[in-house]
Amino acid sequence: MIRKLMESGNKKVADMATRTNFRSYRFRNDRIYFQKATLYEKEILGIIAKQTGKQTMQMEVYDCKQKTDLSVAELLWDTKNNQKITSLAGKNVIKGGKASWDFYFQLFGRNSIDNSGLIIKQYIHYDKGMDNAYWDGRRMVYGDGDGVVFGSFTGDIDIIGHELTHGVMENEANLDYENQPGALNESFSDIFGIMIKQRFNKQDVRRSNWLIGEKVMKGPQYALRSLKAPGTAYVNHPELGTDPQPATMDKYQNLPDTSSGDWGGVHINSGIPNFAFYVAAFNMGGYAWEKAGRIWYAVLTDKKLSQKAGFSDVKNLSIVNAEKIFGINSPEVKAVKQGWTEAKV
Amino acid sequence: MKIKLIRTGGFIPVTRMAETEISITDSDLGILLKVIRADPHPPVIKDGSYYELTVGSTRIPVDLNKVPAKYQKLFVELKENLRIVKPGNAL
Repeated sequence: MIRKLMESGNKKVADMATRTNFRSYRFRNDRIYFQKATLYEKEILGIIAKQTGKQTMQMEVYDCKQKTDLSVAELLWDTKNNQKITSLAGKNVIKGGKASWDFYFQLFGRNSIDNSGLIIKQYIHYDKGMDNAYWDGRRMVYGDGDGVVFGSFTGDIDIIGHELTHGVMENEANLDYENQPGALNESFSDIFGIMIKQRFNKQDVRRSNWLIGEKVMKGPQYALRSLKAPGTAYVNHPELGTDPQPATMDKYQNLPDTSSGDWGGVHINSGIPNFAFYVAAFNMGGYAWEKAGRIWYAVLTDKKLSQKAGFSDVKNLSIVNAEKIFGINSPEVKAVKQGWTEAKV
Repeated sequence: MKIKLIRTGGFIPVTRMAETEISITDSDLGILLKVIRADPHPPVIKDGSYYELTVGSTRIPVDLNKVPAKYQKLFVELKENLRIVKPGNAL
């Protein structure tokens, strides 16, 4: 197609096609080059933060000023300059980003999202009244909410941890974002998101309410999700009805693999592995990140976790990794098995 | 002609919709739909929101960044008027 356009009789079209072809060629070659580049080469070329003796978090926060073009967002804060910041959303993402980086580094020795010191980039005030937060493959983006049902999506550390974990996942198993692998992708983000919040608040498995997004969703009785009791985060909400998440496999929802079907229910069926984790962590006691978190991180980074993994694959890998870390007949292995049994997987 | 803008997806799946009457020829509508048509599958953005446009019985995924200048105002207004579709209510 591009060849045809390059040979077009229209000079403007031919010129544009030639330039596009050149850029595509360069991008393709850059990609191949960077796939093979060493850490040192990536540092020199500024693709990743320079590795120093002491690994430190690097972060940039941008203000989208309610627009949708991220390329024109204004740098508000970065770790290098530590500018004075007055924006609440800005303060929230700095706090949440730091809590997430600390979580992965201090517990698992992971140096940022890609384990190579990637700069954490966060974009706030995205679009007008946008009731969402997302990971676009390179950065985290947060809307301010509609102000009626949702407040700013920067309001809860678990949401920031959730989005950052999508980045970690992309650098590990990179589970497909549809159907069961997609629900697992979502579940890993929820699980690490809640643990990041629990650790920040120094909450053990009993003190935590296991709710995601309790400040983002307006109304004290509502949250976005519950790991402890999927399907109860909001009940009879005047606009949203009742939380549709199942807790057990017999209630798994077969939904269309489309945007309106939530890509096969990735945010719906994630309730099942979420519940399995909750039961396992609760039965182990103490702080979730100390035992259950170690097991789930071992699964997340296990080379045997394939892109198309289903719930049973993660069940098996969590048992195998719990056996490796804590021993075959350990209480931790029993707790993991109990979790999956309760979730009927 | 009635058109509906629908937004789906997100951190929790919420559907929002706005509708309006527009005056447009079939030919211009065909061109517009061709220009703004998107193919979001497989999804790359995690927790992303997606837009669809309904015209008559046709519902197609669209990319609002591709909306031509001529129709910008129309789509900005539609976006500002998006309202939550309560579960169980038809679009």
